[in-house]
Amino acid sequence: MNKQPLEITINGESCSLAVDSNRTLLELLREDLDLTGTKEGCGEGVCGGCTVLMDGKPVRSCLTLAVEASGTHITTVEGLAQNGEIDPLQQSFIDHGAVQCGFCTSGMLMAAKGLALNNPHAGKIEIINAMSGHICRCTGYTKIIEAVEAVVDRSKEKR
Amino acid sequence: MPNYAFVGNSMPRVDSRAKVTGEALFTADIKLPKMLVGRILRSPHPHARIVNVDISEALRVPGVKAIVTGQDVLQRKWGVFSYTQDQQFLPSDKVRFIGEEVAAVAAVDEDSAQRAIDCIRVDYEILEAVFDPMESLSPTAPLLHDNFPQNINVHVPINVGDVEKGFTESYYVREDTFTASEDSYFQGEPYAVAARFDMDNNLEIWMPNAGPHMKAKPLSNALGIPLNKIRVRKITIGGAFGGRSEIAPADLICALLARKSGRPVKIVYTREENSIATRQGHALITTIKTGVREDGRVIARDVTCYMDGGAYSSTGPIAVSVPFLCMEQAYKMEHVRYNGYRIYTNKPPRGMIRIHGRAFACGVDTQLDMIGEYLGIDPVTMRLVNAREPGEFTNTKSHVASCAMKETITKAAEKSGWNDKWGKLPPLHGIGIGCNSVQTGFPMGIRGGSQAIIKLNEDGGATVISGVVDNGQGNDNMLVQIAAEELGIRTEDVQLVTADTEVTPSDPGAYSQVSTFIGGHAVKNAAENVRRQLFEAASKILNVKVDDLIARDRMIYVKDSPDTSIPLKKVVRMILAQGKSVSGQGDYWPKVDPKREWVKNPFGQMCGAFSFGTTVAEVEVDPETGKVTVLEVTAAQDVGFALNPLVLEGQFQGSIAMGGQGGILTEGHVWDGGSVLNPTQLEYKVPLACDMPKINTIIIESNDPEGPYGSKESGMSIAMSAAQAYAAAVSNAIGVYMTDFPLTPDKILEALQNKVEGETPNQDEGVMEKGLELMVPAV
Repeated sequence: MNKQPLEITINGESCSLAVDSNRTLLELLREDLDLTGTKEGCGEGVCGGCTVLMDGKPVRSCLTLAVEASGTHITTVEGLAQNGEIDPLQQSFIDHGAVQCGFCTSGMLMAAKGLALNNPHAGKIEIINAMSGHICRCTGYTKIIEAVEAVVDRSKEKR
Repeated sequence: MPNYAFVGNSMPRVDSRAKVTGEALFTADIKLPKMLVGRILRSPHPHARIVNVDISEALRVPGVKAIVTGQDVLQRKWGVFSYTQDQQFLPSDKVRFIGEEVAAVAAVDEDSAQRAIDCIRVDYEILEAVFDPMESLSPTAPLLHDNFPQNINVHVPINVGDVEKGFTESYYVREDTFTASEDSYFQGEPYAVAARFDMDNNLEIWMPNAGPHMKAKPLSNALGIPLNKIRVRKITIGGAFGGRSEIAPADLICALLARKSGRPVKIVYTREENSIATRQGHALITTIKTGVREDGRVIARDVTCYMDGGAYSSTGPIAVSVPFLCMEQAYKMEHVRYNGYRIYTNKPPRGMIRIHGRAFACGVDTQLDMIGEYLGIDPVTMRLVNAREPGEFTNTKSHVASCAMKETITKAAEKSGWNDKWGKLPPLHGIGIGCNSVQTGFPMGIRGGSQAIIKLNEDGGATVISGVVDNGQGNDNMLVQIAAEELGIRTEDVQLVTADTEVTPSDPGAYSQVSTFIGGHAVKNAAENVRRQLFEAASKILNVKVDDLIARDRMIYVKDSPDTSIPLKKVVRMILAQGKSVSGQGDYWPKVDPKREWVKNPFGQMCGAFSFGTTVAEVEVDPETGKVTVLEVTAAQDVGFALNPLVLEGQFQGSIAMGGQGGILTEGHVWDGGSVLNPTQLEYKVPLACDMPKINTIIIESNDPEGPYGSKESGMSIAMSAAQAYAAAVSNAIGVYMTDFPLTPDKILEALQNKVEGETPNQDEGVMEKGLELMVPAV
C-alpha cells in the first residue's frame, strides 16, 4: 500500500509522517506513536474509549482515518497536562472517585475537555448528553458527571 | 470507634493519577521487542468433529512465524474441579460452540496473521447441535461430552428439613417459574494476552485477570512446566465483574505461540471475541415453590433451576450454587430444597458473574410480592418478616456473625419515601424493593488464604508484597490504606508489589468478594507483625512498654504522652544497624469448613462473613413505547465497615447500573441457534450516563467480628438487590408480575396488552407456569 504524507500536530508537536491510506488515527496514535492512553474498546465508534480532540472537537479515532487528520491539531489524554500540571478535569476525576478500572477514562476526559472548550457554560443536562456517547461499565456514571460538573462550575465562577 | 488515620476515610485512589494521564498500561498497550501479532481461528460450527487441520498453505504466508493447533497442546482437560475437567484448550477432537478456538497464528503484523488464518483449511464433520437446555436433557439429544450423560454437567442437590411437610403446614403455597436469557460482562477492556519466554524457559505473561495465582497453576499444568516458571505479571485491568478469574484459552494459545516462535506474542480480542469467546452469564429457568404462614413468614421453599451452561464447565459449576446461597443467606426458611442443574448446550461457556442468576434472585423477590399481595402484606413487611438476623445459621449451616439486613430494609424504605409511595403512586408509576446477601468467598482449598510480606526501608517507606489483584474496584488503594494505617506511615510511603506470581505469595484472587476480607486481612497481619518489631525496638529507646506505643504519621508515640516520640525511620535505621531486617509476613485464612463441597457436601461454614443489602427503585413506564424511566434508586448495604466511603459509593452506583439498569431493563443475549446476534455494544445495550437515575447510597456498618476493621463486602450484593428492586418496580408500575428477564419494552407492551385484553397467556415451551392469572408469557 502506498504511504501518504501526513502533516499533523499531536499534543502541540508538529509531525511529518507517512502513513498507509487505510491506517486509522487510532492505529497511528497507539501503534506508530506509542500514545497508548487512547483506548480501543469496540473498534466501531460505540464505546467512546478512543476519543481524541481534533482541533478542539471530540472525534472517534477508530472511525477516523489518519489522513483525514492531515493539517489538524490532535490532543490525546497524554496532552491534557500542561507544564507538568494535570488538567483540572483530570484532578477532578481523581478527587471525585470518577476512575475505577480506568479503561474508559481517557475517552471520558477528552469528551469532557471538548465540552469545556466548546461550551464552558454547559449545564448538567448538556454534560450528561456530552458524556452519553461513552460507555463506562464500572462507575454507573454518577461520579464522572459530578467530576465534570465541578470543573464546568468552576469555570463559570471565573467569569 | 478507634481513631483511624486512613481507614474509614474517603480518599482518592492511589491508582487514579496514572489512569487519568493515560500512563497506566493495559495489556493491549504492551509493546515488546520483536513482538508478534497473534490471531485465533475460530469454529464456524456449533458442534463438529475436527477431521483435519491443514496449515501448510498458511505457513507459506510471508511474515508467519508460528501456527498452533490441537496437535500442539498436551492432551489434558481443564476444569475448576476434578469432576468438571472437560475443556482442552485448542481441542483436537471436536468443537462445541461457534467461536471455539481451533488454531492460532503469530505473524509480524496483523495483515499477515489474518492472511494466514484465512489459509488454514479445517475439515469438519458436522454434528447435530443442541441449543435449548431442556432439549439437551432429552435422551435423544446429542452428547457434548461422552462422560456427562444427559448433558448434565453438574447437579447440586440440597435438602434441609422436610419441604413437603412444610408445604402441608403452610397457610398459602404458590409455585412460579422465572426465566432469564444469558447476560455478559462487557468489561471496558476487551480481553488481551501478551506472552514471552526468556532464555531459561520462564514464561512471562500479562492479561486482565481476577487472580494471577488462579491463572498460573492451570497454565503450569497445561504447558507442563513448573509453577515457578510461570510469571503472571501485574498490569492494569479493565474490569472483571466475576469473569477473568480462570485460565482462558487465549492464555495458553499466546504462550504456545510465543514458545514456538521464540518471540513475544500479543493477542488482542475484538469486542465480539470478548463476548463469544471469554465467558457469559447463564440463562436460567427457575421454578420456585414457596409456602408461608399467614403473617408472610416462609416455612418451606423448593427451587429447581436449570442453567444453560454452554459448551464447557469453566467456573459455571460454582454458579449453580451461588444464587441459592444468596437466597438462603438473605432470607430465613424452615425447610428448603434445591435442585440446580447445569446443562451443556452448543453455546459459549458460562461462568460466575456479578448478578448471579437474575431469574432466581428476581424470582424469589417477585414471588414474595405475589404472596404479599395475596396476604395483604406490603413488600417491606414481607421482607422484614423473613430477613436474616445476626447470630443465626443459614439452612446449610453457616453461622452469620454480623448482619444488618433489617436495618438496610428500613433505612432504604425510609430514604425512598416508601410509605408515602407504596400503593399511592399514579398508574404506570411503580416502586419495588429487593434484598440480597453475598458471601465473602467460599472454601477454596489450597488457594483459600492469602499471605503478604512487608519490608521497611531505611527512610521509613514500606514495600508491600501481596497476591491481591486490582481489576478496577480499588484493591490497590485498599492495601495501601491498610498498610499505612497499621505502620503509622503515610499512604505515599507505601509501594506495592502485587499480583505478580514470580514474587507474590498465593492469594485467592479478586472474585467472590474476598480481596479485602482475606487479602487485605493478610496485609493487616503482616503490617502488625512489622509494627511489633518497630515497637520492640522503640520501647527500649523510650523506656516504655510495647503496649504503650502507637505509630502515626511517621512517628512512634507513647500513648497519653504525645511529646515522647521518635521518628519511625530512626527506629528502622537503628534496627538495620544491628544487622537485622525490618520485615515480616502475615497471612489470613478464613474460618471456613474445609469439608464443605459444592455437590457432595454443601454444608458447613461457607465463608468468614456475609454482607447484606437492600435496594428500592422507583420507575415510570411509557404505555406507548414500553420504555421504563427510572426516577430514583436507593441502595443500603451492610458493608461491615466502610474502609473508603468514596470507593464504596462508586461500587454502589456501578452495581445499580450493571445489576438494575442494565441487568433488568436491557441486557440479554439474543440467539439464532448457536450464534449470538448481539455480541457488541452496538446491539447489547449497557447503560449510558443519560439512562441513569438519581441514586441515594446508604452505608450501614455492622462491624463484623472477623473482618479487617469489621469490613465485609461491597461489590456484588447491591448489583443483585438492584436487579430485584428494578424487577419489582416495573411489575408494580404495570400491575403485572413480570417473570422473564430482562424487561425489555416489547415484553412490557405485551404484558400491558394482555392485561387489557385479560387473555390467558400462552406458555413458553419448557417453562411450567401454574395458576398465574397475572403471568405473562416468557418470550
